[in-house]
Amino acid sequence: MFKKLIDKSAAKSPWLFHLNTGSCNGCDIEIVACLTPRYDAERFGFKLAGSPRHADILVVSGPITVQSRDRLIRTIEQTPEPKCVVSIGSCPKSGNVFKGSYGIDGPLDKYVHVDVSVAGCTPKPEAIMEGLYKAALILEKKREAMHK
Amino acid sequence: MTILRYVFYILVFPGALFTIAVGLFMAGIDRKVIAHMQKRVGPPLRQPMYDFFKLLGKETIIPAKANRAAFLEAPVLSFVSLCFIMLFIPIFGFTAINGAADMIVILYLVTIPGAALIIGGASSGSPFASIGISREMVTMMAYELPFVLVLLTVAKKVGGDQLVFNLSLVSEYQAANGSLLSHWSMIPAALAMLLVIPAEVGTQPFDVAEAENEICEGPLVEYSGSPLALFKLSINMKMIIMTGLFTSMFLGGIRTGFVALDAVLFVIICIAVMLVSITTIHAVTARLKIEHLFKFYWTVVAGLALVSTILVWIGM
Repeated sequence: MFKKLIDKSAAKSPWLFHLNTGSCNGCDIEIVACLTPRYDAERFGFKLAGSPRHADILVVSGPITVQSRDRLIRTIEQTPEPKCVVSIGSCPKSGNVFKGSYGIDGPLDKYVHVDVSVAGCTPKPEAIMEGLYKAALILEKKREAMHK
Repeated sequence: MTILRYVFYILVFPGALFTIAVGLFMAGIDRKVIAHMQKRVGPPLRQPMYDFFKLLGKETIIPAKANRAAFLEAPVLSFVSLCFIMLFIPIFGFTAINGAADMIVILYLVTIPGAALIIGGASSGSPFASIGISREMVTMMAYELPFVLVLLTVAKKVGGDQLVFNLSLVSEYQAANGSLLSHWSMIPAALAMLLVIPAEVGTQPFDVAEAENEICEGPLVEYSGSPLALFKLSINMKMIIMTGLFTSMFLGGIRTGFVALDAVLFVIICIAVMLVSITTIHAVTARLKIEHLFKFYWTVVAGLALVSTILVWIGM
């Protein structure tokens, strides 16, 4: 009965779960900047969720250290479908300056399909917002595919 | 016919549909006004509706450690009890169920969502939830005392010699003698009630039980999908119910004669009460610690309510 409304709502209310996998805190500050009055991500319905069970979009920053690898996998498994994974910055994509280090076990797409990847070290808040908005549109498509 | 009328009452007008629609609308206004206070644009007014329908479309995960039956029944319990409260609250002249002691029924029904949250959190088997439910219990104990004192004061003021726990009689009294807020001895009780509302609904300075930054939303941590949608909806429904209770106790007495017009006026006054007691307090404060919350309610708020009770008892 409400199938169309539910599909539309998937794009209108994406809740984020921010996962730091050994990031230098640069990207994390820029993600928080998106939620401040200057950029105001809440006008698109974005909200930081406290638990991965409530989240629609997993925002991953950092080059996947060995210590955080198992937590990353568990957090991805705990997120209910439909979900999107967004990588913020160069680290989850390529390892950036940490590439080749004994302490990291990346890149992120070794573990999960990355839907949107925002490049930069660190990316600007505008770029992060655009990436998150693209992920919200992908969420709607994933939701539509769920009842086919 | 009587049965059909009651089914209509429960499902549509003062019951489920009205409470859900107005609750979601009020939550939208709340978020928009807070955004404007912080110089943001803010989400659209129908954002809470989008949140609700999105959660309905999500997968529901039941943790392996959870007690399946209690985990899934708790949100339904919370939702159903909230559907019934509005039947007892008079919308100015109109009351769906006119009981002899409906204030006491409301007092019990309003605690059920909190109890459901405790049941749901306890059955989910998460350590974050167990911290959350202990905080929820302390919060409930903190606001129940001033809440009961306020109800007692209103009952004594309206009844005179004996206590009147009937909200329709409270409404009639206000139609005859002016709203209770215009009696100066009731003003401390009204202030106490305005401070009970945010704790009951669980908004900003008093949301210690559902603190998302420190304990991952406490009792709700393991919930996902439709059970979470019902819990989030319960919070929105509590907004109209608690502000509605305030309106009928302190700002009643308006009679237009038409139920539809009364309902519109009632919602407008409820939104005004919400802007004062929920939105403004939310926008200007940060979260309290649990011991500070308890101390605040048992000294300041209970003190305000007690002043009113004493004033009314000595006949002011």
